[in-house]
Amino acid sequence: MNEHRPRRILLVDDDPNLLVVLAEQLREDGYDVATARDGQEALRRLDAGWPDLILLDLMMPRIDGLALARRIKAEADLQIIVLSAIDTADSKARLLDEVAEDYVSKPYHYPELRARIQRVLRRLGDRIPRQSLVLGPNLTLDLHRRAATVAGTDVQLSPTESRLLQTLAANLGDIVTTETLLARGWTETEEADPSYVWVSMRRLRQKVEVDPGKPVHLLTVRGVGYRLVASRDDA
Amino acid sequence: MTTPEQPAAEVDRPGEAERSADRPEDARARGRGLDLPFRVLLTIGLIVAALLPLAVFGIIVIAAGWESNERAVTSLLALAIAGAGFFGLLVAALVVGSLTAPLRRITTAVERVAAGESSPPIHLTGDDELARLAESHNRIAADAQRRNAELAALLTAIAAYAPSQGVAPLLAQAERDARQIFSLIDCQARLGRADAVAREERIPGDPGPVRAEIRAGAETLGVLTGHVPATRNWGRADQDLLELFASEVGVALRNAELFGRIESQNAQLRELDAAKDEFLRGVSHNLQTPLTSIRAYVEQLRTTTTDAETDRRLAIVAEQSGRLTRLVRQLLTVTRLEAGVLRAEPEVIAMAPRVRRAWEALNATGATLELTDDARGWLAVADPDQLDQVLWALLDNAVKYGGREGRVEVAVRVDDAIDRIHVTITDHGPGVAEADRRRLFTRFTRGAGQPSGEGTGLGLYVSRQLLQAMGGELWLEPAKTSGGAAFTLALPGEPPADEG
Repeated sequence: MNEHRPRRILLVDDDPNLLVVLAEQLREDGYDVATARDGQEALRRLDAGWPDLILLDLMMPRIDGLALARRIKAEADLQIIVLSAIDTADSKARLLDEVAEDYVSKPYHYPELRARIQRVLRRLGDRIPRQSLVLGPNLTLDLHRRAATVAGTDVQLSPTESRLLQTLAANLGDIVTTETLLARGWTETEEADPSYVWVSMRRLRQKVEVDPGKPVHLLTVRGVGYRLVASRDDA
Repeated sequence: MTTPEQPAAEVDRPGEAERSADRPEDARARGRGLDLPFRVLLTIGLIVAALLPLAVFGIIVIAAGWESNERAVTSLLALAIAGAGFFGLLVAALVVGSLTAPLRRITTAVERVAAGESSPPIHLTGDDELARLAESHNRIAADAQRRNAELAALLTAIAAYAPSQGVAPLLAQAERDARQIFSLIDCQARLGRADAVAREERIPGDPGPVRAEIRAGAETLGVLTGHVPATRNWGRADQDLLELFASEVGVALRNAELFGRIESQNAQLRELDAAKDEFLRGVSHNLQTPLTSIRAYVEQLRTTTTDAETDRRLAIVAEQSGRLTRLVRQLLTVTRLEAGVLRAEPEVIAMAPRVRRAWEALNATGATLELTDDARGWLAVADPDQLDQVLWALLDNAVKYGGREGRVEVAVRVDDAIDRIHVTITDHGPGVAEADRRRLFTRFTRGAGQPSGEGTGLGLYVSRQLLQAMGGELWLEPAKTSGGAAFTLALPGEPPADEG
């Protein structure tokens, strides 16, 4: 992580009031903020240079936020946080999994939003593979759609489980410490502690291992952290 | 299923006719008082016919020879008579054999047809009664076989009719099938009144008109008309088969019609559903967008203001806009619950800190929270956003109905026998009236004696629905003499995990 250069954020929303106040809030926290009122303006801004993160409203005139996010993702693997009045229970929210790293519903609580932004920026190195990741005969990860195929069966992953697996997959075969997983999976506002990681890992093992008692992919390194490994073993 | 049986009976009919033709003869045979098989009767008849004149002649000659007393002549004559007798018997046996053999073949063939089997044609030379009998059997057998084939083709055609095909394509298909199955020259299937299509006269030498009403139950849907080749004999059984086909087509058409109606209704519902979704999205957007700006500005102002009075007022704006936000969210959740489109994304959550955070978000001035946590290390499994909605609703109720004291007690504990986390929220208000207890979790129910302007009456309903969808439950604890209401929510829990 480059700590010297301020992180650049492109803020796309059709509400000018929000653009002003949110841009100010973000600048106060040291981010380099550009704003766009609609999708076309956003695309013009992107032509001038890529930000580290895009904060995007879903409902906008001219180009719909989802369509815009898809166009951006088709061109570059930029990190997107959707900031929208649509909540996660909306039928459209499901479609976000493929384009957005995270989702914050309006009206947002600024400390919460900032915590989510920080979490996404921390994970800049852990790019979501856009295609299936085959780890063995019994495990294939499709993190871009928050799913895994375990022994031929489709398994849905929660947003946090997906984030944890992304971090582990980005360091395939290597140890990822519990602290790193905690920082990637949760925000500061969630008051999470290492037990969140331990319990989540146990739950993940129930989901992705054929025999959770004898894991072959999701391995514990005692006192340090966890490892995700590819395995030919189908036991 | 009665349909396959009916035509089967039709096809059997020729065989039936054969058998019933036999029966009067049996009756006549019995009427003669002689119940002997045909073969035996024939044999006796022939023997009698052949031997009777010979015997008369022999008796006369022997009597005459006896007179002449020439023994040699007499014995020669006796030998000749015996020889003639033997020869007569032989001829009788041959004649009987040649007469009964074709009869046996015809009988066997008729029996096979009667049993519904296919029977190869019987070839008999000549132009006598037996040959004609064989020929008529051949014709009956061929008819039966043709109708069997027609029935099989008919059943295959009917089985292929799917309601999803639509009425017009089904009609066209039925015309094609009828032409093929019944070897018609032409065929038209029309919907509407059957008498709208005029009946045609049958003119010898011209193609014969055929017709059957297309029916579904008692209702006539239309009529099927066509022509058979002039050479084709169109019998009762053929007409029955055609009518069977027409009625099956009628049923298929009726199904297609109903299917079409359901399809269009479904399409309408889908459209309505999409419109409702879009409307909700719009409402949500239009309500939340201004709230977002209000809250953002208030938050920003509060970080910069130094004046205590201004900060107090800003805190009220923040609190009220927060309340409005939660209300809008609750209403949206209700509509999603009704539509059955709500889904939960379960995550692990430490319950006590979550309760405290929900309490802080409520910003309930003047009320105090007493939180006891006996579930340390345990994590609840719930959708965080939905759990927040439940906690806000229950804590808000406890504050609203909690009396002047404003003290809310929350106890978090574990039922480790079933891995569940229980949260009991107790207030010190008047409690829930007996009359209200039962309908407490239905929509638009408010506590008795509460001004109707207080609350939406949706909080407990939404909370219970959300919890149940997450594998949890919500209930009201039995009333205590000390008063106050106590609600307990239960959620699946994860026991503390050692690393690994």
